[in-house]
Order: sequence, then structure tokens, then C-alpha cells
Amino acid sequence: MGRGRRLYGLSAVLAALGLAGFALVLGSLLKSGLPILTWHFLTSSGPGGIGPEILNTAVLCAIALVVTVPLGLMVAVYQGEYLRRRSRRVRELDHLRATLMSAPTIVVALVIYRVAVGWWHWPVSLMTGALALAVINWPFMVAVSRSALASVPDSYREASLALGASRFETVIKVVIPAALGNLIEGIGMSLARLAGESAALIVTAGVNVSQHWSLWGPGETLAVHIWYIRTEGLVSGRDAEAAATGLTLMIGISVVLWLASRAARLFGRSQGGYDGA
Amino acid sequence: MEPKLRVENLSVWYQRQPALKHVTLSVEEGEVLALIGPSGCGKSTFLRTLNRLSEEQVGVRVTGSILLGDLDIHQPQVDVTQIRRRIGMVFQAPNPFPFSIFDNVAYGPRLQGAADPAALRKIVEQSLRQAALWDEVRGKLRRPALALSGGQQQRLCIARALAVNPEVLLMDEPTASLDPLSTAKIEELVGALRGQYTIVMVTHNLRQAARVSDRTAFFLDGTLVEVGPTRQIFTAPQDSRTEQYLTGRFES
Amino acid sequence: MSMPSVTDRMPRRAAGVAAGLFGLVGIVVVASLVAGAWPMLGEPRSVANLIGAVWDPLRGRFGMAPFVVGTAAVTLAALLIAVPVALGAAVTVVHQMGALMREWTLRVLAVLTAVPSVVFGWWGLQMVVPWVRNRVGGPGYSLLAAGIVLALMILPTLSLFFAQSLGQVPKVLREGSAALGATADQTLLRVELPVAMPALVNGLVVGLARALGETMAVQMVIGGQTALPRGLADPGATLTTQIFTDITAFPPGTAGHAVLDIMALLLIAAMYVLVRAAERWGGL
Repeated sequence: MGRGRRLYGLSAVLAALGLAGFALVLGSLLKSGLPILTWHFLTSSGPGGIGPEILNTAVLCAIALVVTVPLGLMVAVYQGEYLRRRSRRVRELDHLRATLMSAPTIVVALVIYRVAVGWWHWPVSLMTGALALAVINWPFMVAVSRSALASVPDSYREASLALGASRFETVIKVVIPAALGNLIEGIGMSLARLAGESAALIVTAGVNVSQHWSLWGPGETLAVHIWYIRTEGLVSGRDAEAAATGLTLMIGISVVLWLASRAARLFGRSQGGYDGA
Repeated sequence: MEPKLRVENLSVWYQRQPALKHVTLSVEEGEVLALIGPSGCGKSTFLRTLNRLSEEQVGVRVTGSILLGDLDIHQPQVDVTQIRRRIGMVFQAPNPFPFSIFDNVAYGPRLQGAADPAALRKIVEQSLRQAALWDEVRGKLRRPALALSGGQQQRLCIARALAVNPEVLLMDEPTASLDPLSTAKIEELVGALRGQYTIVMVTHNLRQAARVSDRTAFFLDGTLVEVGPTRQIFTAPQDSRTEQYLTGRFES
Repeated sequence: MSMPSVTDRMPRRAAGVAAGLFGLVGIVVVASLVAGAWPMLGEPRSVANLIGAVWDPLRGRFGMAPFVVGTAAVTLAALLIAVPVALGAAVTVVHQMGALMREWTLRVLAVLTAVPSVVFGWWGLQMVVPWVRNRVGGPGYSLLAAGIVLALMILPTLSLFFAQSLGQVPKVLREGSAALGATADQTLLRVELPVAMPALVNGLVVGLARALGETMAVQMVIGGQTALPRGLADPGATLTTQIFTDITAFPPGTAGHAVLDIMALLLIAAMYVLVRAAERWGGL
């Protein structure tokens, strides 16, 4: 039975190699970070604590999501429900979305830096960071909403329209509820992506922690903290702190994704993605 | 004369579920044997055991023996790819590869290392002629196979199977997805191939079995109820269950 | 599409305004970069300066070649490592796993796509840079280290896309091939990979775009040297890391900042080309 299955063997070896790579990443993260991951570490501020960073991350992600979830959904509804399927405008919006979505986040930061900091005189702050995150996340939310809406069969729409409902009523009462599971899962994914963003935030939100409760003060996030103390920090030997921060971030992201997939199942996520063999 | 295929005491399980129980059956060289029976009776399982395609599925267990000549094809040391070259198969729905017509027919010979363009062209032409498709696709061999009609696709699949020069041809409801005209062409083709190849054909269409086969085997609940000359099975079945099925008293 | 009803007028307009605003964001991104880049793009002498190999802002030399080369080398190295591994992972997931194990593996892969890039950068500093220093030589901070870190970073995305692509190949085609006497390897090479090719290309483009656009994971391990690198073990810089490094060093309005805008435009143009290429040759 081994005959003619050499590529399968080779594949298994390669897969094991990839697995080993990730085991190394997670292993070294756990080894360095776990010993100092304490309640005190999570809640206190200053060296040896990441309380403010957790708060800043949550605030930035929350603002960006509150802004981009409705905006992304609206663009997707306009494309998918109001425009003709293969019209030129739909295609142009798709090209724009795909290009912006794959644009490096540092490019978005460059633009925000010029427009918000340069032209509008916003300070390097949580607010500027939130603006950058919103610009980064908008195309992602459009993509998530597009594919969620597309997963709803047309027969649902036709049934509703045939009963005399308007397009808008159909979208609100039929399409979005049917797409809700996929939407929630996509929002979870985009939240995870935002929580891990660093390059754009270093430029727009800065690497300091504000002492005041203001959105106009600088706001370092967890991801930025990892970079800052590992590469720029003046105190040496803070590997462990970076690792523990990384662990915190990974745990947070895993919990978000897990909750999102649980909630998605609750709202009837349609079987998407992988088709099985 | 020695039978071409001799199946002895063949049983098949999916996981723990028996799908075929103690089937013993011979197929004569050059004949067309039709397998009939209600859905889930095991006739397709039987067919897929003959070229060991059943083992591509996980959790399938086979006991008993299948002799091709004097080779027991289910012995583990037997090279399954060799068996499949000698026992070709045509599937329920046409399944041409999304390549050109030529590349579809040349697929089998190329697997065995055939690379000479002139020789390949000859094999392709000959196979397409045998499958009665040549006149329709001559000069269009570079066109995608998926552009052909359903009936043409099925004949292409037959040509593809013939191109490796098999001794036995297994057909799993080859006309199930075709219109009446295409079905008639396939049946005609089966008639033309009779004698040259040994053909085992699963069919749901009783009249098709009556029209094209020399002998018919009736399966029910994983067992072989009876097998005999087609005329006799259809006019004077020996088992009351066969008669009940033929007169439409089973859900099929 | 039916006639718009009265209740549809306002919602339609609101959605249209959102889409228009979205388009405006796209225009502002490109326009602000072009406006910033204009002083440098205007005259032929500065264009010649830009495509040069010397980056020395204090003397007014703004050759971008080191960063273009760095970007290309790092991306290529990452793909050369990650693509075979991801293909192997995909074949393993699709062909050698039971249904339950497959579902779990795919779920874990989806979570791994969300691992923040700084975490990979941290790991790169921890393990890859010392490894390169000891095994290959040089300072360790290098294009090679960046390539390895990036490879691991895009691996889950690539594996997920590839597994999806291979999983979509209809079973009847695999069986058709097997029934003609093909071995498992032959079926994989001659049927599954060709049939899955458009979807595989799509995944490849997504992975390529991620590698091309990544900033932090690369910045942490590449060394930031602005001279033209001569080998993979040399330190270097990429377009994204150089934008990151100099964004606050050169305030808007200076020649240096204009060059950063040009680099950003290059990256956006590359992404647009990739999007169109995926549309032309890819497809799911």
C-alpha cells in the first residue's frame, strides 16, 4: 500500500515542520512569559504592569469597531442589495476594497499622519490611533459583510420581495438576520486583527501611556508594548515582560475568536469556507 | 471456458455495517452482465469492490476473494493500480477532467509513461472511434472536455477508460444522468463493445438491462438473490423476490 | 431589479453615502500620497536620484533600490519556505486526517492566522536572529531572519487557503483518476493540483500580499541597514520598514517625507496589481 504515496509522506513531513515552527513560537512565549503572568502584572501600571495597555487596546478596538461595523455593512448592502450584481460600480468598489484591505497598515499610518496630525493638528493620541484603526478595518468589515450577505440564498430575498416588502425591509428583516452568524464570526476575526495591530499605532497613538483619562492623550496598546520594551526600551532584560504581554494578547484574541464562534453558532452560522473531502 | 472474473464468498462492511453478504458470482469473458436491484441493495458496492475503488474510503472491510484469471485481486501484495488498468470504470455522472478532450483520453496512457505524441494521437483516435465519439470531436481535440454535452462527456469517459486497454469494463449506472437520446447511444455502444470487453453494468433501468445484457444478477439487502440469462430472469425468475421486484412491488 | 419603492429611497441614499465615503477614503489615501510625493516626482533629476542605490538623506541621495531589493528578497524567501510547507500541510489535512481531526486542525489554523505580527517579531529576536548569527554568520539581523519570520507568519493563512482549494476538488475526479490506475501521487500531481490551481493562486496572492505589506515582524529582525544588501545574511530594510523608521524623522513637507510617500504609492500600486492578477488568474 506504500506504493505511489511518496508525496503524502513528504507532505506529512512538511506539515510536521510547520507544526514544529509554531510549537517553538508558543513554547518560547510560554517559557519566558508564564512565570511573570500574574494578576498584579495584568492590573498595575508602570514597569512590571500592563493595566493601562489592556485598557488602551480595548478602547481603541471598541471605537474602531463601533465606527466600522455599521459603515462596512452599509457599503456591503449598497453593493450587494441595491446595485445590480455585475455592474461596473460594484466591481470598482470591490477593487478598491481589496486594494485597501491588502495595503500595508504603515501606509495607512503615513496618510493619517499627514492628514490628521499634519493638516488637522490632532496630537499623537488614542483618537488619532482610533482613526487609523477605523481606516484599516473599514475595508475588512466590507469584505466580511459582503461574504456574509452573499451566503444568504437569493430565494430568501425573493420570498420577502414577493410578499410586498421593500428592499430595505428585506435587508433588515430577512437578509441580515440570516447572515448574522457569519457577520459575528467576521467581526470577531476583525477584532482579533485590530488587537494585534502595531505599526500604524506606534505612529499614530504613540508608545507612551497617558496619565489622564482623555482620548487626546497618547495610548500605548499591548501589541505596541511588546515591540517597544523589546526593541526600544531602555531597561534591559524585559524579555519576560514582552513575552507575558504577548501571552496576554494571544489569550485575549483566542477568547474573542472562541466567543465569536460560539455566538455565531447560536445565530446559525451557515457552513462556510472549507468544503471537506 | 474459464470465467473472466470469479467472485467467491465476498462480503463488505462499512464500519460495522454489512453492505454485501457472501456473494458468489462468475462473469464470463466477453459478456454483458447487468446488476439490478433497489437502491442500497449493494450492487454499486459490489461494482466498486471489483476494482478495489471501495478501499479509497475509510473504514471499509472486505473478505472473500475476487479472481481475475487466477489472480486474487484483493490480496494485499497485489498492486491496485495494475488491477485498475485491467478493470476500467465508467461512473454514474460523466466525470471528465477539466482538461482538453485529448488530455482526457491520453490521461491513462500517460500515467504509464506514454509520451510519444504520434503514438498518443493514435491511441486517442482509436479510443474515441471505439466510443463512437470520433466523428463528433474530430479536429476539436484541444477544446475543453467540459464544453461537450452530457452524453458526449459520458462517451468521452468511456473512451478514456478504453484508452488503457482494459479487459473488463465496469459501468455504474452510466445513463442515470442522461437524456433518452444520449442513453440510446450509450446502449448502442455497449452492444458494439460486447464480445471485445467483459462488461459489468449497474442499472436502475430494468428495460435497459433487458435490452443490453446477456445475463442479469438481482441483488437485495446485500445478498445476491439470483443470477441467470437475462431472458430467463425477466420471463421466468426462480425466486419470488425477483418476480416481486420486476413487477414493481418494491420501493426502488 | 425592481423599481425602488418609496420606503427604499432613504436607506438606499444612506447606503450610497456610505459607499461614496468609502470611495472618498480611497481617493484621499492616494491623493494625499501623490500630493506629498509631488515635489520629488516633478523633475527628472530627482527621478534618477530615486532609482539609485544610495540612500543618504543628509546629502540628498534618496535611492530606493536597497528597499525594493530588500522587499523582494524577504518576500521571495518567505514564499520559498512557506509555500511548500503550506502545500504539505494542506495535503495532510485533506487526505490524511479523519473528519474530526480535520475540523479541529482547520479551527486552530484559523486562530493562528490572527497571531499578532509583533509576537512573531519577538520570537524572531529570541530564536531566529541568534540562529542565523551562529549558523550562517553575520550579525544575525538579516534578510534571511526576516524571511523565516515572515514565512511562519503567513503559513497558517496559506495552509488554510490551500487546504480549502484542495478540498474543493470533486471526489468523482479523484475516483476517475484512481479508476484509470493512477497512484495517489499521480492523482495529486495530475488532477488535484491542476484542478485546484486557480484557487491555489488566489491563496498564494493573499499570502504574498501579507508578506509584502508586513512591517513590524520584519522591522524587528531585519537590522534596518540602508545600504544595498549583498546577500541574504546581510542586514537590510524593506519599503515598509523604511517608511516606519523615517516617518517621524522626516516631517511632512521635507524631501525625505516625499520619498516615503513614493514608497507608499509603490506598495499600493503593487497591491492593486496583485488584486487584478488574482481576479484574472485566481478564483475560488
